Amino acid sequence: MTAFFRTFREGSGFDAVLILCAVAYLLVFSAFPLVYNVIMSFQSVDMFSITDFNRPWVGWQNYIDVINRPEAWLIVKNTAIFVLLSIVFQLGLGFGLALLFQQDFPAATFLRGLFLAGWIMPGLVVGTVWKWIFAGDFGVLNYVLNHLGIVTGKIFWLSDPAYSLYAVIIANIWLGIPFNMILLSVGLAAIPRDIYEAAELDGATAFQRFFSMTLPMMRATLGAVVSLGVILTLQQFDLIAGLTKGGPANSSNVAQYWSWQLSFETYEISAGSVIAVMMIAVVIVVATIYVRSTTNEQSA
Amino acid sequence: MKRYILLAVALVSVAVYLFPLYWMYVTALKSGTEIFQYPPTFWPPHPQWNFRQVFLQHSMASYLWNSLVIAVGVTAITVVIGTGAAYSLARIRNRWTSVALFTVLMLQVLPSSLMVTPLFVAFNQMGLLATPRLAVTLAQAAKVLTLYIVICRSTFLQVPRELEEAALVDGNSRIGAFFRIIVPLARNGILVTSVLIFLQSFGEFVYSRSLISEKSLQTATVGLSEFVGPQINDWNGIMTYSAIYITPILIVFVLLQRRIVSGLTAGALK
Amino acid sequence: MNQIEIDDLNKHYGAYHALRDINLKIPAGSFVALIGPSGCGKSTLLRTIAGLEKFTGGTLRIAGEVMNTRPPRERDVAMVFQSYALYPHMDVERNMTYSLRLKRRPREEILERAKSAANTLGLTALLSRKPRELSGGQRQRVAMGRAIVRNPKVFLFDEPLSNLDAELRVRMRGEIRRLHERLGATSVYVTHDQIEAMTMADYVVVLRAGRIEQQGAPLDLYDRPANRFVAGFIGSPSMNFLPARVAEDGRTAILGEADGQRIDLGREVEPGREILVGMRPEHLQIRPASDATGLQATVELLESTGSMTFMEARLAGAPITVSQAGRMAAARGEPVRLQIDPENLRLFDPATEAAI
Repeated sequence: MTAFFRTFREGSGFDAVLILCAVAYLLVFSAFPLVYNVIMSFQSVDMFSITDFNRPWVGWQNYIDVINRPEAWLIVKNTAIFVLLSIVFQLGLGFGLALLFQQDFPAATFLRGLFLAGWIMPGLVVGTVWKWIFAGDFGVLNYVLNHLGIVTGKIFWLSDPAYSLYAVIIANIWLGIPFNMILLSVGLAAIPRDIYEAAELDGATAFQRFFSMTLPMMRATLGAVVSLGVILTLQQFDLIAGLTKGGPANSSNVAQYWSWQLSFETYEISAGSVIAVMMIAVVIVVATIYVRSTTNEQSA
Repeated sequence: MKRYILLAVALVSVAVYLFPLYWMYVTALKSGTEIFQYPPTFWPPHPQWNFRQVFLQHSMASYLWNSLVIAVGVTAITVVIGTGAAYSLARIRNRWTSVALFTVLMLQVLPSSLMVTPLFVAFNQMGLLATPRLAVTLAQAAKVLTLYIVICRSTFLQVPRELEEAALVDGNSRIGAFFRIIVPLARNGILVTSVLIFLQSFGEFVYSRSLISEKSLQTATVGLSEFVGPQINDWNGIMTYSAIYITPILIVFVLLQRRIVSGLTAGALK
Repeated sequence: MNQIEIDDLNKHYGAYHALRDINLKIPAGSFVALIGPSGCGKSTLLRTIAGLEKFTGGTLRIAGEVMNTRPPRERDVAMVFQSYALYPHMDVERNMTYSLRLKRRPREEILERAKSAANTLGLTALLSRKPRELSGGQRQRVAMGRAIVRNPKVFLFDEPLSNLDAELRVRMRGEIRRLHERLGATSVYVTHDQIEAMTMADYVVVLRAGRIEQQGAPLDLYDRPANRFVAGFIGSPSMNFLPARVAEDGRTAILGEADGQRIDLGREVEPGREILVGMRPEHLQIRPASDATGLQATVELLESTGSMTFMEARLAGAPITVSQAGRMAAARGEPVRLQIDPENLRLFDPATEAAI
């Protein structure tokens, strides 16, 4: 016993205890639910069997049922469009802003900092504010678009199934820009100045310098930012809850919201688990790529 | 000259980007009839101060209190459990710590909206839903603990190893060196990361919405989503609620902005 | 008495054998330098004595007590780190007295000892400064002060001067040595700089690849290197090594293959044996080419620092270095004669590299 106490105070036992405390907590509240989720996806779980420990085992039936639901493919398609467009525009706008604020002009750092206000705001509040901006009859967005002559008449962003998904995507791009911009700024700042000077002496134009220096040097950062962006976009829930709640008629629904709806609105818990399992698998694949690439970067 | 053109471009982009925030505050100050004017006014001609009324009518005191209780609880659990782990993961490099670090990074990416289903069922079976705020606190702590460890670890990596060794030679035990030398030196990083965790938990929605059924225990986000409801017309009330809710968050963020940013970027790219 | 005894000490990092069969006795009150190229294990050995590294086999005793598994704080050793490792959040006085405060010594004693250490090191005016407000040399002194206030059994130094500029390094060398004479504590000093080791230590231990190659008094190592590695490591510029074959008479050797110059070995060696002839640059004397005796060489490069001149030359097909105080009467591309007293020749076996 004293030996145990001693290694905790003086030796490697100290580190082991510190790490094990955190790992144990994560195992109980993260890893265990993860496994439990997989188990439930093979069981029949609903309102009545929710507290039972012995639930009927139904094998792959839940998966078959979910895939055969009429709305399934619409939601898969929505999720893909949601992720793809969010990433493309967040990255593009974020990169543009990162390059802008990389330039030398008065108050650059301060102004860049202002962009980050959107980052820390609760997603639900952001969704609510955008809901008001998108409002069909009195929304400021329709007014601005009409005023600038981009569209005529009013777009019912949130209630027209043709637009609802894009409304959600626009708000999500707004949320994601600061994150993309700041990570890309860090990447840009890490490129040594003198290689640009060398390239300039070699006769490269600003345009050529961007494509032959900046982009290749940013490859690792871009990879990290894209995978983190995918992960964060697949985590996005609050914004949808604040804006459209997946409607109308699932036109703006995405998988992570659908899973929750099934579990907590219609109490089809097995179906909710099935979607959660499939989505978590996707997220973990992306995360593995991300972790691999960053750790390789570190050891290289 | 070029610098001022760039400055102008930057100012315009900041203005466009921050417009939703501006719009929230402006709407909050408008009267009930003003908000339904078309074209909308971009500056309220007769500002209305209905903060107090909204605060009382929508029992914001209770909502904000619950959010605060959960955020404080999450931060406390995270700091107590996460700080030591972040330190050990920064100090020791072997097969076991790599496995532990990989686990932490992987668990970091699990979306709350997908994890809430099994948590709900399991907490229900364990009887934890009888104390729903505790249930939300435990679940949210697991969610942010990984982020806290990742960011704090990068702080601890910056504390030179020799300082701890000097403390050991000077007569500290491992525990003594940790509390008297390492933690004081990493204090800023720990503080900023805790603030970040706190702010995130203060705006938590999924777990509160799913695990808390009693209105008097619900958080400010859930209160806001109830307020918005299916048939909305009280937009200035909603924006007033939002403004009351996020102004403290924005103030804290502006005060600590530079440190939060450096912490977050270090955590994401290292 | 505060002697250190190390018996059959071994350390592995996984498959890597960091320290191999280290046997070392450091008498109480002596000043021992551990020296070797980077990665030789000298710092690991020092850290093992401090208790910062564990080892996998053997015994370590300090003042007669077995310390194998004792944590650093129970060993009563003080250490000066290469990076100084001053606590950035404490001022100079608190940095120096941290260990005393941990031991809960009376306040007056702490104050007294801090004052006297500050006095010794000329830090009295800096006691309330933070480390970041100090120059490199001042930080180095604070690190020393932190060690001496403790009055420990053993002082450990891990390349304490390597972050200082050349001039300061020479001055601190003398100061550390004088401090040692005054305090008389057992000191172990790690360095990669052989001049530091030679000038400061009573006893020098040369390590390579985790093994002790030779240990002894500094001049013993210089005069009687046990093998080619030590011979080349101690002394600057390095010893020249020329392959040769012992002639039939057993008293001379034939250098190189083609040119067949003979060198007097000054002693009997088994005829026909392949050997390496070691000659220190400072032992070679330059004679005019017209001299009848001496080795014939061709000058390739002359470098003069003013006080010293270094000549790169070619002898029996091999490059060699010759050093001499003052100037040299030689010119590039010209032939010269080199003479060496047979007493100063060191012979090594080419295969085992051991001294013959």
